Amino acid sequence: MSPEATSIEGRIVATDLTKVFGQVKAVDGLSFSVEPGSVTGFLGPNGAGKTTTLRIILGLAAPTSGSGTISGVTYAHLPAPGRTVGAVLEATSFHPGRSARNHLRVFCAAAGLSDKRADEALELVGLTQAARFPVRGFSLGMRQRLGLATALLGNPRVLLLDEPANGLDPEGIAWLRGLLRHFADVDGRTVLVSSHVLSEVEQTVDRVVIIARGRLIYEGRLADLEGASAGVVVRTPTPEQLSAALAPLNVKVTGRPDGAVAVVGATPEAVGHAAWEAHIEVHELRSGSSSLEETFLRLTADAGDPPAAPV
Amino acid sequence: MIPLLRAEWRKVTTVKLGWGMLLGAMALAALGVVAQIASNGASGNIALPLSAAATQKSIAASASSAYLFSVVVGIILITTEFRHFTSRPTFLIEPRRGRVIVAKLIIAALVGIIYGVICAALTAAIMAIWLGALGVTIGWIDNGVLLSMLSDLVVIATFAIVGIGVGVLVRNQIAAVISALVYLFVLEPLIEIIPVIQKAYPYLPGAAAGAITGASRGNLPHLDALQGGLVLLGWGLLFAVAGWMLMIRRDIP
Ligand SMILES: Nc1ncnc2c1ncn2[C@@H]1O[C@H](COP(=O)(O)OP(=O)(O)O)[C@@H](O)[C@H]1O
Ligand SMILES: [Mg+2]
Repeated sequence: MSPEATSIEGRIVATDLTKVFGQVKAVDGLSFSVEPGSVTGFLGPNGAGKTTTLRIILGLAAPTSGSGTISGVTYAHLPAPGRTVGAVLEATSFHPGRSARNHLRVFCAAAGLSDKRADEALELVGLTQAARFPVRGFSLGMRQRLGLATALLGNPRVLLLDEPANGLDPEGIAWLRGLLRHFADVDGRTVLVSSHVLSEVEQTVDRVVIIARGRLIYEGRLADLEGASAGVVVRTPTPEQLSAALAPLNVKVTGRPDGAVAVVGATPEAVGHAAWEAHIEVHELRSGSSSLEETFLRLTADAGDPPAAPV
Repeated sequence: MIPLLRAEWRKVTTVKLGWGMLLGAMALAALGVVAQIASNGASGNIALPLSAAATQKSIAASASSAYLFSVVVGIILITTEFRHFTSRPTFLIEPRRGRVIVAKLIIAALVGIIYGVICAALTAAIMAIWLGALGVTIGWIDNGVLLSMLSDLVVIATFAIVGIGVGVLVRNQIAAVISALVYLFVLEPLIEIIPVIQKAYPYLPGAAAGAITGASRGNLPHLDALQGGLVLLGWGLLFAVAGWMLMIRRDIP
């Protein structure tokens, strides 16, 4: 990627990011990018390294190697991070004895924003009624909303949200979806949302970055992942020949991250026959899984066992 | 820097922590005054009469006991951020961590000074009323009573700064508070009586504080007020710099 491309305003880029905690490699050579004007899902099972990756991109943790940038610079070098980037890392960043309004006012002061913003943000996330109550009594869903309000204080053009749907009821998830889509589609902002459940964000995101054990499994449009999920999966030492042999069948052939080939638009019988006729060596041939969630689980499970528990 | 100071100040004033600690500090200061005046002249008490400058300064130094609370307040101000993860939004809005920690140190010192002023005022009020009733004149200036109270403020504010440093070092709130109190109540008095290492005692934070305010206990040779002040400020600086450096280097939880 050229430097100009990296420094596009609002683009998030991770380059060969690695983070080691003692014995645990939480993030392992991870590279991906997130584009402005899209909602990107950052997916992976629990312990995959999502939060750690976000903490590095946000300058809270130092990478062991590699780098994470926003608009082409590391977080610490952003001119006014409080007004350009909004982020929530798990919905737990509140003093239980402080009211929602005072919580926001603390950060209005830090970011040099007027206190009016606190009330506007509360309104935006539907917490106006609870503004004066201490966070102690808030449900997880309310905490998610307050976290989002904190992130939105500075009216940022880049949003990074860690598991924002956790604890939201279906109505809340629908509301969040509308809000995030509006940010991306209407305002052209960059939105990155992490989740360990694909179905939670499936209807919200256009692109996905899927990781497992700290490594990239899939990056691209969700629609293409759906394409890769159906059809036939073939494992062969000569994928190019297979591609050529399948050309007359008018199918779509895509390489999968695990090295196999996904063929959409033909039955397993037709694919097997074409391979046999062309004398192509085949090591595996099976129907692709049907649901997106299954694909997600298989992709992430293929990456191996979850990393060892932290020491 | 101003926005950060405002934010840190709001963090202090929007939770209840402050009040309980302040009441504790006031109670301890009042206890010190009452105990010294009431026991004066009692058999076995070697203190000079109430009219003596040394006695009046020692009574005024009761306010300095608030440092036991200000060190805890300093610890709580910073460890609360780690405990409740408010460190995250804090450092997201201002990733220049050095500035945040400087703002925190300034606000901690300010809170310490406020504690000190309130405790000193309480001490002065009790002294004025009680000694006045006994017909003893207080040499506010001549006997150095006011100066003793001013030095109390320095001690209390410095310990709040030390508290920030301890909090950054230890991170865990309970562990940090316990270590500080165990050090002040157990370890330092132990060092005072263990022959080999007792030479170092006068240079320790608690002993230096005692030297400044004149509340020094024991009969070991100790530093004079100015030396004690310099030693204590040295400790404050050491903890401030250590906290600052660790904060810049380590990952934010
Ligand atoms: N501060 C830390 N110290 C030690 N290990 C950690 C730390 N943070 C995360 N880990 C480990 O790194 C791995 C990735 O964790 P995390 O980034 O939280 O994953 P996710 O957010 O995808 O669930 C896990 O094995 C986790 O236990
Ligand atoms: Mg996580």
